[in-house]
Amino acid sequence: MISRFRFCGDLDCPDWVLAEMSTLARMSSVKMKLLCVQVIKDLLDEGIDYDKVSKLTSDAKFESGDIKASIAVLSFILSSAAKHDVDSDSLSSELQQLGLPKEHTTGLCKSYEDKHSALQEKLREISLRLGRLEAVNWRVDYTLSSSELKQVNEPTVQLKLQAQDPETDSTQTTVVSITADKFRVLLTELKQAQTMMNALQ
Amino acid sequence: MLFVLSEEHKHLGFLSEVDPAVVGESGRIAVEFLKKGSNPKIYEGALNVWSGSVQHGLEGLMYLLTESCKLTISEEDFQDSVLVLGFSEELTELLLQLYLENRKEIRQILSKPAPSLPHYHSLEWRLDVQLSSRPLRHQLKPTVTLKLHLEDGARRSAHVLQTDPATLQHLIDELERALAELKSSHCRRILHNIQ
Repeated sequence: MISRFRFCGDLDCPDWVLAEMSTLARMSSVKMKLLCVQVIKDLLDEGIDYDKVSKLTSDAKFESGDIKASIAVLSFILSSAAKHDVDSDSLSSELQQLGLPKEHTTGLCKSYEDKHSALQEKLREISLRLGRLEAVNWRVDYTLSSSELKQVNEPTVQLKLQAQDPETDSTQTTVVSITADKFRVLLTELKQAQTMMNALQ
Repeated sequence: MLFVLSEEHKHLGFLSEVDPAVVGESGRIAVEFLKKGSNPKIYEGALNVWSGSVQHGLEGLMYLLTESCKLTISEEDFQDSVLVLGFSEELTELLLQLYLENRKEIRQILSKPAPSLPHYHSLEWRLDVQLSSRPLRHQLKPTVTLKLHLEDGARRSAHVLQTDPATLQHLIDELERALAELKSSHCRRILHNIQ
């Protein structure tokens, strides 16, 4: 048996995953496919329906430990396969090598194939990002006069930036006011950065 | 190893005056108190003895259990230690059973308050390449950004770190060297003697 598995990132399959293959095989292949659908919903943050899960696992007389283990192993297989961009056929052959029966494997891989892009999109979304910009608000003011100078007559931009703090993940608000000249420089520089980003996409 | 019972343990005396069912019940309550903290309301309801001596008695029982668990004393030592209190054989047997059944759990509870450093919870990482910056175009600078999540009891903290691949490789080499130390003969000898 090959010990390196693509869906595990070309590493050995963890012992606990191998051990749970027999747990999954205790379910009928139809029920296991429906369980995959629930697990995928959970991975996509669409909410898992635990009532459905307990109905699906009741025939196989799963105890709560078995239910948790089967959800964990299916989550691992599906997310790890998506992570390493494994195609459905390779996943199918690797799971069968681990001892998952053919009908179960077919069902799982069909669910995987259907939701493959959605899973990768979700994983991309939750990848590490620091200080995510959440909102930008602006306002243009015109200063008529001040305590220093009677006729100021100058436009300014006020920018309100709401971003995530990198270490605490809470939202931080920053307000800056920019004169027309400085703002022109900022805009030119940002447009250069934008051109570069567009070239990469 | 025996542990010495002193003057305070005369409170346990109430146990020999009540019947075994009550002793069992007191034992169960003592373990609950060790797990969740003491709750005076239970004194009155569960045991039909005067509340003053009940409280001391329960505390005495809790102390007996924690001291035994602290030292992980053997059955014989436990029996010998308790002998001092002059209990009947039946009572001693009940107390011994209480100790043996709950030993593991109580040891787990006792291990918690020890001072500890924040420990590893999880690590997120990201590999980026800097292509361009305001002063300089046409660069190729790879960086690895790490977010290290640590846990200290209930408190979670996150630390953001950034490094280039060469430093990361150096970090990995140092950590592997640290792990390899565990396999050195010096370390193995010490671990063997502790276990």
